Amino acid sequence: MARFATTGLAVATVVALALTGCSGGAAPTASTGADGTLSATTIKILAPSYSESSKSDWQKIITEFKTKQPNVTVELQIEGWDDFSSKVQARIQAKDYPDILNDNAFAGAAEAGLLYPVNEVMSANTLASIEPALLKNGMGTDGKQWAAPDIASSRMLAYNTDLFAQAGIAKAPTTWSELAADAQKITALGGDIHGYGLPLGKEEAQVESSLWLWGAGGDWVQGNKLVANQPAAVEAFTEMKKLVDAGVTQPNAGATNRQQAADLFNNGKLGMMLSHSGLLKETRAKFPQTKFAVAPIPSKNGDPVAFGVTDFILAFNNGDANRKEATKQFLDLMYSDSMYQTWYAGTGLLPVTTSMIAKGKASDTDNAAFYDALSYVKFLPVGDPKWDALQKALQGTAGTITSDTPENVLAKIQAQVDAQG
Amino acid sequence: MTAPRRRGRAHEVRAALPWLVPTLILIVGVVLYPAVLMGWTATRKYNAYGVERGPAGWDNFVGPAGALTFPTVPIPQILINTVVWVVVVVAITVALSLLLAQFLNQKFRGRKLLRLVIILPWASSVVMTATVFNYGLQTDVGLFNRLLVDTGILEAAYGFTKNPTSAFWVAVFVAIYVSLPFTTYTILAGLQAVPEDILEAAHMDGANRFQRYTRIVLPMLRPALLVATLINIINVFNSLPILKILNETPGYNTGHTTTTLIFEYKAQLGPGVASALSLVNFAFCLVVIAIYLAAVQPTKEV
Repeated sequence: MARFATTGLAVATVVALALTGCSGGAAPTASTGADGTLSATTIKILAPSYSESSKSDWQKIITEFKTKQPNVTVELQIEGWDDFSSKVQARIQAKDYPDILNDNAFAGAAEAGLLYPVNEVMSANTLASIEPALLKNGMGTDGKQWAAPDIASSRMLAYNTDLFAQAGIAKAPTTWSELAADAQKITALGGDIHGYGLPLGKEEAQVESSLWLWGAGGDWVQGNKLVANQPAAVEAFTEMKKLVDAGVTQPNAGATNRQQAADLFNNGKLGMMLSHSGLLKETRAKFPQTKFAVAPIPSKNGDPVAFGVTDFILAFNNGDANRKEATKQFLDLMYSDSMYQTWYAGTGLLPVTTSMIAKGKASDTDNAAFYDALSYVKFLPVGDPKWDALQKALQGTAGTITSDTPENVLAKIQAQVDAQG
Repeated sequence: MTAPRRRGRAHEVRAALPWLVPTLILIVGVVLYPAVLMGWTATRKYNAYGVERGPAGWDNFVGPAGALTFPTVPIPQILINTVVWVVVVVAITVALSLLLAQFLNQKFRGRKLLRLVIILPWASSVVMTATVFNYGLQTDVGLFNRLLVDTGILEAAYGFTKNPTSAFWVAVFVAIYVSLPFTTYTILAGLQAVPEDILEAAHMDGANRFQRYTRIVLPMLRPALLVATLINIINVFNSLPILKILNETPGYNTGHTTTTLIFEYKAQLGPGVASALSLVNFAFCLVVIAIYLAAVQPTKEV
């Protein structure tokens, strides 16, 4: 009770502050926005921490923005990824909407009518600079562009080349049966080495299970609905369970988060895991003794699968023309080559603007495989407002395949999604 | 006679008001307002983002996605867990504290130092303590697991925090560990109030140690014990961080109590359902306390 009491008070205070803040100086029309001409206002940014430099990466853009628009105050709040959605939830419940939110989902906020379509807060030039295939990912099911991607990443199979050599495996697996056989051989090396890292804990379950589903040739989207309990998903979950039952994954797969699997991989205790460029950047920098390579993700029939993710910029509608104009100026600056290059590089992930992708392809040899995969990546249905329910059901329940049948697990996930209408 | 007295009473109230106002503001702002807000929230529909979408009636309690009826949530198991959690933690804590307090009440060399050491788990933050235990129990890097394996107690490292049932019992252990200092000190204070001369007189009358303890010390400890137990029940019932940090299994697993379930709901179903469950939780806590009070009847004089 005490905890709720304090939260309630905090919320009340924030609401009160927000109300007084808004009733201040809302001018009827916004100024034109050339350098230094914006009226005094405050815009708020809420962003997750991609890496240790995230705060200073944002701060660089803010400093540059301040030299152009000295009248605008920018408030930056950086929060860790693992509890980010509850931070966003708290701000929304307090009606203290950030003008700029960097998040991995947008459909819920768009459906609730809280957002500006991004073409209202970004110039046509800025929008045109974003790779169209990635930009499409920020489009809602209603066909409106509610979010603009700001970084991309893809998951691929990272494998420890030393362990592969020791186990006498010549090349990365391309099919499920090869993957299972290779994982078996690596686990047989003994010690506390595991063949395949299967992080079905809260952080990564939705990604891992989607990749296996795609590998089985299925998709969550069926017509205009999201379906969890489908034959391809049963096949995918059965395959994951086989690995667990064979004892070739790390122990406690259902409670393992991505970082914990990455820790094992970094220390040379894991043969393979599905990983992304940001995690592998850390492996390269801090664990040089761990030699690895990346390959397309194996599937049932051998067609390569890759998982694409973009995070997004969302702009909340605070009903204030000055803030909206300042937001637009800020975002245009942020996506300009000079600003965007340092910002995206700080995340360790891949860029979304065509100019930076071209530059990265030419120069970033570490991530060459990830750039190549951008041409065949599949995305999660993040534009569908129902995805949020499915994602959370997967995160909470997919891990129970370690102790339950795939059919039961998928029925449970489907029941949770259906109950939320 | 009554009229002047009433006027005097009114005057008294008016005179006292300036001193009462800060307290009243606090009670209204920190207790009443949030409680009313929570009751209101429990009857409204929210999306998972926390945006209000109109009235919900009783849906947040018993609707398709209601607190008590959301599919796949093992509600009976969670209710049992909650009772087991409160009863086991409080009972063991009080029993151990009685022993510890008795021991600390003896005169011996280094008593001050020992008293200081026992207070430590209380002085450190519960989140920190639970996190330390969690790290220690990790399978690859945990020191406790390493110790258990090296001493031969375990054959291989065991993921204590990765399985809802074992995580629950680890949490029980940690909850007892952090509850001991407060309870011990409350009882110790009570022990120091037991007059030496009464004990001596009883000794003279031929009462043995056991009789002196059960007939004199325990009855005199009754007020301290009752307060310690009641405060422990409320604290343990509402305890969130220990279970939340030590149980790493996601979702609606069998290691939850009603309090940790509130937070699962808040993340997946939004504030409406979470508030509904907190109201149920509050009622549940009242029932547990009522049972306790009925059983021990603290108002009955010794």
